[in-house]
Amino acid sequence: MKYFRRVGVSVPLLLAISLGVFGLIHLIPGGPMAVYLSSPGVRPEDLARLTRALGLDQPLWRQYLQWLGGFVTGEWGFSFSDGRPVIDRVAERLPATIELMGASIVMALVATAPLGIIPAVGRGWVSRGLSIVSFAGISLPVFWFGLVLQLVFAIGLGWLPSSGRTTPGDGGAMDRLAHVLLPAAMLGAVHAAAWARYLRASIADTLEQPFVNAARARGVPPGLVLARHALRPALLPALTIILLDAALMVAGTVVTESVFAWPGLGSLFTEALARRDYTVLMAMLMLASTAVVACNLVADLLYPLLDPRVRA
Amino acid sequence: MTPHGWGPTFRFAFWWGQTFRFALVLALAAECARNAVAPGPTNDLLIVGYDREPDTLNRFSTHILEDIQSCVSEGLTTTDEQMNVVPLLAAEVPTLENGGVRMRADGRMDVTWKLRPGVKWHDGTPHTSADVKFTVDAINDPSYNPESTDGFDRISSVDTPDPLTAIVHYKEVYAPYALQFVRGTLPKHVLQGRDIDTANDYNRSPLGTGPYRVAEWKSGEFIRLERVADYWGGPQYPKIKQILFRFIANTNTRINQLKSGEVHLVAMFPWDKYREVAAIAGTIVHRTAGNAYEHVTLNEQAVPAFRDVRVRRALMHAIDRELIVKTILEGLAPITNGPIQPVSWAFTDDTTTYAFDPARAKALLAEAGWGDGKLSFTLITQAGFAVRESVAQVLQKQFRDVGVDMKIELHDGTTISSVWFEGKFEAMLHWWQMPADPELTLFFAADRTPPAGRNINYFKDEALTRLVYASDRTVDRAERKRLLGLAQQRIAELLPELPLYSITKLDAIPAGLQGFKGNPSNAGIFWNVREWGLR
Repeated sequence: MKYFRRVGVSVPLLLAISLGVFGLIHLIPGGPMAVYLSSPGVRPEDLARLTRALGLDQPLWRQYLQWLGGFVTGEWGFSFSDGRPVIDRVAERLPATIELMGASIVMALVATAPLGIIPAVGRGWVSRGLSIVSFAGISLPVFWFGLVLQLVFAIGLGWLPSSGRTTPGDGGAMDRLAHVLLPAAMLGAVHAAAWARYLRASIADTLEQPFVNAARARGVPPGLVLARHALRPALLPALTIILLDAALMVAGTVVTESVFAWPGLGSLFTEALARRDYTVLMAMLMLASTAVVACNLVADLLYPLLDPRVRA
Repeated sequence: MTPHGWGPTFRFAFWWGQTFRFALVLALAAECARNAVAPGPTNDLLIVGYDREPDTLNRFSTHILEDIQSCVSEGLTTTDEQMNVVPLLAAEVPTLENGGVRMRADGRMDVTWKLRPGVKWHDGTPHTSADVKFTVDAINDPSYNPESTDGFDRISSVDTPDPLTAIVHYKEVYAPYALQFVRGTLPKHVLQGRDIDTANDYNRSPLGTGPYRVAEWKSGEFIRLERVADYWGGPQYPKIKQILFRFIANTNTRINQLKSGEVHLVAMFPWDKYREVAAIAGTIVHRTAGNAYEHVTLNEQAVPAFRDVRVRRALMHAIDRELIVKTILEGLAPITNGPIQPVSWAFTDDTTTYAFDPARAKALLAEAGWGDGKLSFTLITQAGFAVRESVAQVLQKQFRDVGVDMKIELHDGTTISSVWFEGKFEAMLHWWQMPADPELTLFFAADRTPPAGRNINYFKDEALTRLVYASDRTVDRAERKRLLGLAQQRIAELLPELPLYSITKLDAIPAGLQGFKGNPSNAGIFWNVREWGLR
């Protein structure tokens, strides 16, 4: 029942978000007609005709209600840019973003484990070095890091393609893997660094707890103390952060996809923003908002499974 | 081997090591994959790094440069590397001299287009005058929403006495008639009776007459064009079998792809990348004198001081354009003194010029009552355009030297467009890409302030207005040249805006590419793509 209530609260929340997002988009200077202005052949009559064709001559409240009605019934309208259904444009870009995010999360988790656990349990130069690495990871300008990856691995070493999702005419598994490594590393690096620092702090806190000391006193070897007693409670807060970050990673794809010409939702968002393609922007922002709300819900639902105290 | 019996830390180290080794193997495999599919440019494949994905390939519906479209759909005419109008699907360009243009006593005008015989659409259907008539009717039909109906709405009717002759009747004299069908024609047999706005089979893969057809469009990634086997231009054309346009919005990434050999050609890259691109082995930089010019627009509606010609002249004298060109632009762009550039047949250099003279600038400001730091305004320009941001800073310094306070605001491109259209700015650093047919009316006629035109200086001079309108109402080139020469002198004398430099287009092309000529107009560099070939 409690969970149904939480889901129920999400609906008005998303409605409020949609209203806010709709208002904000229309507050951005410029509009869908701005792209036509630099063309000398486009005259006031053309602008008026195109404005009418896109329904932009309607009052804002009516435009919002029309959009809302369409959105909830799966009719997301047509892109102002190419006239195709918004749902098609989003759907064709979604797999690329899922692929990139999936690869990024895997790479970030692989990096998080040593960067978070070793500095928490060790005291030597390796631990200190890994702490510095995670600190540097947080401080990295993401955009710059992406270009450095290109310069080193694509231009310098020639190991990996510098951008794109596939090589035209290929698109096999190895080709796709080669293409995803650099953007996934860029997107994953910052998250790995943040997650690692959080995990390290969480483990360090847990290792100070009385039940851990009790385990040590019983003669449990240090490795088992970490694995059986400390790691599970330490992962709990880290899991929340990781789940929330995974949703927010969509925002990170905007920069990553731009640098690596990755044909996902991030690059679609950049194009739609430059074009002030309101219908595409609204659909994407609502999808992202829904993903954040859903991840929060999932985190809430997972907590009791990991921590019996919450269940009680 | 599994690490049974090890402690958790060691188990973790083991798996981490395994993961690292796996990643290394993947990287090596990736290298093999990449080396196998990243060939240099050949007549089999040319890869173009393109800065944006087209919205549509229907040339009449797009607002984006028509590079890809022009490989597929051809115009009756196009403009060559010297910006001359040359025939393509037309047998010749109609003129008064060859009888193709006839002036009527009632002020109307008829243009007779003789079509090139033997031209077929890619599906084998002959290209005829019926397609010309269908195009005019479709664009003037309120149910279709093309980007612009300019010129078409001045056509009263089209007669088609035979399949290769289309007589276009204009309601009035229309000087740029020769470029009326520069975007080509729409195939009647494909689009008749259909909603063209939503005819996505055509809009995504148009049936054309050009040397290439669309083989594949992968959204967000690339468009692949393949050679049309029985192209009307003859079996020798086109020479390159496939052209692949990869969409790479980020300039740095585009140039990195040039360096890594993943793309072979990048059109119109920014000037601040010149040295970097020129140093890439196997790539040369082709320069084309452009038909655009960088200038400072002075909004007389927003800043009363700009209404005084002495103030405008003072600002011009305050700018050291030679310094800007030599330093920031590294000599890549020549100084310009007006809106019509040397590449145009209408250009004249017989106009007033303004030397860098800070003392004269100060004297003029004092004379106008705006000396001693009284003049202050804000200049807007586009963010992320490194050269332009640097030029704005130099202008700020040079204006400060003569006692003028100029602030700088940066905006994204779309915002800039709406700001100038609404007149909500004081001064703006930007360029205009001028029409291939030299039209000044849109930019300088007193009644062409927004929304009616692009006179965003809000400059009003009756004599200039009469001259530019008169030039639009004649098709006699000698007379137009005389009128436009007078207009250029009037503009130079009254200085409604501050001209800085002419835009040189920089294209990075493979060293072995033959037949590439560049193009100063909106026709783009692919106007003669059929002639391109790799050594």
